Amino acid sequence: MGSMTIGAKYKTTLKDPGTPGILRMNDDKFTFTPNDPRSAMKLNVDFRSIKGHKFNKVDGNKPALLNLSKDSDKGGGYMFEFDNVGNRDLCRDFVAKVLGKHQGIPPRPTMPPEISGSSTGLEQLSAAEVERRVKLLREDSELQKLHKKFVLGNILRESEFWATRKNLLDDEANKASKQRPGFKTAMSDVRPSADGRTNKVTFNLTSEMIHQIFAEKPAVRRAFLDFVPKKMTDIEFWRKYCRAEYLLRTKNTVAATAEAAEDEELAVFLKNDDILAKEAKLKIKRVDPTLDMAADAGDDYIHLPDHGILRDGSKETVDTDSEWAQRTLSQELNRHAAVVLEGITSDVELTDAKTVAEALTRSKKEPPSTSTVDDDSHERLVKVARMTEIEDLQAPRSVPYAPLSIKDPRQYFDSQQANALRSLGGSNDGRKARNCSLSTEEVFHHIMDQISSFKVNKSNCSVLESDMALKVLNELNEGISRSRRLNLKNPQEGLLGRVPQHTQDELMDHWTAIQELLRHFWSSYPITSAVLYNKVQRVKDAMTQIYQKLQAIKESAQPDVRHEISRLVKPMTQALDAAFSHDLEQQQKSAKAGNKPNGY
Amino acid sequence: MRFDLDGLPVHFPYAAIYPEQHAYMGELKRALDARGHALLEMPTGTGKTAALISLITSYSLANPSRPLRLIYCTRTVHEMEKTLAELRLLFAHLPPAASRSLLALGLSSRKNLCVHPQASAAAARDSVDTACRRLTASWVREKAASDPESTPLCEFYETFDRAAAAGDLASLMPPGVYTLADLRALGRQRRVCPYFLARQMVKYANVVVYSYQYLLDPKVASIVSREMQKECVVVFDEAHNIDNVCIEALSVSIRKQTLEGAERNLRRISHEIDRFKATDANRLRAEYNRLVDGLAQRGNLPISDAWLANPALPDDILREAVPGNIRRAEHFLAVLRRLVRFLDGRLDTETVENEMPVAFVASIHSQAGIDQKMLRFCYDRLHSLMMTLEITDTDEFMHIQTICDFATLIGTYTRGFSIIIEPYDDRMPDIRDPVIQLSCHDASLAIRPVFDRFETVVITSGTLSPIDLYPRLLNFNPVISRSFTMSLTRDCICPMVLTRGSDQLPVSTKFDMRSDPGVVRNYGRLLLEMASAVPDGIVGFFVSYSYMDGIVNSWHEMGILQDIMQHKLVFIETPDVVETTLALDNYRKACDCGRGAVFFSVARGKVAEGIDFDRHYGRLVIMFGVPFQYTLSRILLARLEYLRETFQIKEGDFLTFDALRQAAQCVGRVIRSKADYGMMIFADKRYSRHDKRSKLPGWILSHLHDAHLNLSTDMALHIAREFLRRMAQPYDKTGSGGKKTLLTEEDLQAMAQDAMEM
Repeated sequence: MGSMTIGAKYKTTLKDPGTPGILRMNDDKFTFTPNDPRSAMKLNVDFRSIKGHKFNKVDGNKPALLNLSKDSDKGGGYMFEFDNVGNRDLCRDFVAKVLGKHQGIPPRPTMPPEISGSSTGLEQLSAAEVERRVKLLREDSELQKLHKKFVLGNILRESEFWATRKNLLDDEANKASKQRPGFKTAMSDVRPSADGRTNKVTFNLTSEMIHQIFAEKPAVRRAFLDFVPKKMTDIEFWRKYCRAEYLLRTKNTVAATAEAAEDEELAVFLKNDDILAKEAKLKIKRVDPTLDMAADAGDDYIHLPDHGILRDGSKETVDTDSEWAQRTLSQELNRHAAVVLEGITSDVELTDAKTVAEALTRSKKEPPSTSTVDDDSHERLVKVARMTEIEDLQAPRSVPYAPLSIKDPRQYFDSQQANALRSLGGSNDGRKARNCSLSTEEVFHHIMDQISSFKVNKSNCSVLESDMALKVLNELNEGISRSRRLNLKNPQEGLLGRVPQHTQDELMDHWTAIQELLRHFWSSYPITSAVLYNKVQRVKDAMTQIYQKLQAIKESAQPDVRHEISRLVKPMTQALDAAFSHDLEQQQKSAKAGNKPNGY
Repeated sequence: MRFDLDGLPVHFPYAAIYPEQHAYMGELKRALDARGHALLEMPTGTGKTAALISLITSYSLANPSRPLRLIYCTRTVHEMEKTLAELRLLFAHLPPAASRSLLALGLSSRKNLCVHPQASAAAARDSVDTACRRLTASWVREKAASDPESTPLCEFYETFDRAAAAGDLASLMPPGVYTLADLRALGRQRRVCPYFLARQMVKYANVVVYSYQYLLDPKVASIVSREMQKECVVVFDEAHNIDNVCIEALSVSIRKQTLEGAERNLRRISHEIDRFKATDANRLRAEYNRLVDGLAQRGNLPISDAWLANPALPDDILREAVPGNIRRAEHFLAVLRRLVRFLDGRLDTETVENEMPVAFVASIHSQAGIDQKMLRFCYDRLHSLMMTLEITDTDEFMHIQTICDFATLIGTYTRGFSIIIEPYDDRMPDIRDPVIQLSCHDASLAIRPVFDRFETVVITSGTLSPIDLYPRLLNFNPVISRSFTMSLTRDCICPMVLTRGSDQLPVSTKFDMRSDPGVVRNYGRLLLEMASAVPDGIVGFFVSYSYMDGIVNSWHEMGILQDIMQHKLVFIETPDVVETTLALDNYRKACDCGRGAVFFSVARGKVAEGIDFDRHYGRLVIMFGVPFQYTLSRILLARLEYLRETFQIKEGDFLTFDALRQAAQCVGRVIRSKADYGMMIFADKRYSRHDKRSKLPGWILSHLHDAHLNLSTDMALHIAREFLRRMAQPYDKTGSGGKKTLLTEEDLQAMAQDAMEM
């Protein structure tokens, strides 16, 4: 992973002005050397003793801080201040990587046995994962708040917190590679412009153009990496390039050849692109056989050199073996379109020509030649078959369909079921709750009965009585229209709108916290291990606290909004009550079942 | 499906059949019954290939006395692949007993078949051939037998040779369908040379699919297709250009570079002769004796030694002893030197010369002392000499071979050829590039042996209009000659003639108008408007490379190209086949991914000849201009004169016919089946004239409404939008009302019933 050296200030407390010095970090430890050698603030700390890192959100004049916490329970740590956020972020990423690596080390023997024995104790975290989590937290302040409250408040473990947000992490990972702007379809053209008075021609190059040039002309890219900055500067390089472009554009082949003979760097731009030629050779082997015209050329004995009809006006006789580029517009167009289709593969910021060139070169590392595989590949056959088949003579093979895409099936179906139940809530009398303890035989008979009764009463189709259906429909309609009326008419005038702002915020915070806690609470049932038991206890404590806070809010509220607040708080307390009562039930049950030796 | 066609049970690989295909099969069956030739025009996109192969296969399955021997000639390798894919589909639908015993294979050059890791790595065809010969020539293998250490051999060929000696080739290649890729895969798997295996198995295969030239070009045909039997049914698919292939097969041109190369070759040969004289004089003596005995060739050459054969047609090759004065190697060498010197002198001319072969031969005789008979034997004598000298790198000796080809041809033919010497290309008069061109004018010469040799030759294409011209051009008598129209379920093709641009001024590629900036802009605007309205792929065809290059550059300067690229990616055909292939591949990718693309191509070019732009790969084809040949070309003028004198075909008629068949060929690539749809725009004011338009094939004409004959860009755009909207609607595939456009098995049974009752 390497090491890192950066200027920073070490602070013992937040108020401390800080000791300026140099922060050095490597894989194992970090050291801090103050600029003032007399200062006693020298540090030499092993990363293994660091449990986590925190950083602040920088806005306005606040300094950029990074806190490397020693032990999350005790809260001790090292605080550094940086000149700017960029430096801080660099450090932070580095630390995150190092910590991620250290946390990947198997549990140390000093660990309490109950943790090391459980699967949720320690996670194998990759650096990327840590980074992703950090990024998520940074982007979502609400999440950050929750994280602060529960993880740092030691109610939930880091892993527990993230376990329920797996999909968020995955999404985030996917999103990064999903849609990024590619090259423009239109070819940005390096056009010279003359000012008309002097004998000077000006070319304008933007970083986007440079990116495109590097992508379309690998030889230029290679030349750039070879020449800059060893042989010439950035500017010189592009001046040469533009000179060559100008020569090509004016089709002044004589001048081009002459200049190229003198200047070997310039010659690079005028030559045919050998990298492209090599790539083409590889690609041609993988081309769809139904359009492989190169294979025709291999089969054409009529057009042996000097055979066939040479000069009937349809063919051009050009010598193509010339080393100097006969680059034409059509070649450029084809190349451009090909690059656009390939898309931008590497994750590069359009900042520096050098990094762009390097990234492109890396992404272009040739895959191993697979010429032996191509013949047997099934894909070719399928392709050819598709091109030859006459589609409408054949009955359609299979109806094409788009697979249903549900991110989290369980969640989806649960919510659907809940919806269905809720909407039916008013008319529940139509469904009889039944104790389903039937044997298969009984079920079979029952179904047969149903079917036969259905057959008999085919005429009046009694699957659902019509008045019942009407009732359900009416109710549903009413519900929908009512809620819509309420929501649309006065969105600001909801219950929440009527309570004072700070109470509103407080309630919202509690609501999100309760949701998070409840999720963890319910997901831990049935309790099968000590870890889960501990978790439930912790969560329960936290819920009790919130419960009390809610009660306090309710009681302290102004009389004019008390009713609204109590209506708002009610669903929260109800949900919490349900959880508590469930917990009580479980405890009673386990007490009845007799004390388990290990305590739950 | 299976159905009964006039008493013949036909196996057809699809669940339904077009009525055209049914009728087509009927005609084909009559031709097979009569054991005669057939000329059939059927619109593209109606499944000619499927109809052809299923009828011919079914015919021989029903007539055990006429076993399946089909030679299917395609224009290109990719069409070969498609045909083999259709065969694979058909064989899967045959009764298992039949499909288990049938063998179908494609044949191509070493370049496309070689699996030897080093030899196949070479870039050019000739280099692969040479690399192969270095490993497999008989003398190399003889040498390896005595000195196995230093002489590398090709293990693939050795396996093949052992199996061939044991008569065990069939076990290497079980029945089935083999595309070129399959052959290579088989070769790699069994460690046997796919090229020689295929060459050998061609004799036993039921269906052979290969390029036209393997039958038409005497240089190749006499080594590859020599042993094909008379009972074979020969099919030329996409045969609208067959006359051009025929005349090209017998044409040679000699440039300055050729002569220089030939002189180099002669020096090398003379070195070799000296070397052999010093080391192995017996070999030369043995050759001389053989020539005295009258054998130009050493009888049956080993398959690996075979080289391009005599350029003259097999019937015209003299079966007599090589004349005495060129039997000795040195003497022959001197003759060749004199010939090269003579040609060099003729090339050094300032004026255009046009001579008949007889006069040319006479002047050779008087100035270089080489008589007609010696000229005729040039090729065979050279071949024999190179065998004797054990020369493997034949690609180096291409030049002297060209000279000998030329000599043999002018020594053999007196009619139908002319020799044209031009000091420079007319279009670039400042650049001196002299050339001697021996050009064949008579397409019937090359194809005659095919018609004579095989009972049934079927010539078919989507564009053979006017259909009565082909029998005259090729000089044969078909028993069946018919042009089918297309019954469409809906108007899924929309041809239009665009005569005016958006500014209502006429557009044309006529010589005096083509460089007018107004016309260039109008063409550009047309494409731009269409690119914004038409989804997926658009193909533009231009009349020539130079015109395309010019107009695309002008569009680039005007900024129109940039505007077009806002809508679609642009790809262009270039003279470099590799680049064009990759561009096409990318074009398809762009159409597949929905980005849409425009492909610029050239009429008469490689793309126009064989690439399909069906379905979303081509929703619109624009033919910019009328693709007339370059009428000032002396070769064309000489050919026209010959056609008028010999076949009474008028110059103007032939030129229009030729231009319109190219145009029809270009736009016809857009349709693949009746479910497909596409538009065709003929953008030139000359298309609105009746004499031009009427030369288009009937299936296009029948959809060309009168209202679409004289459009401007804005009207065309309106029609295009309407058409695309109409095509997007769902429709009944089998056709509505009384007109059925898709027949099922029941329909065919009902038809047969009706015929019985009548």
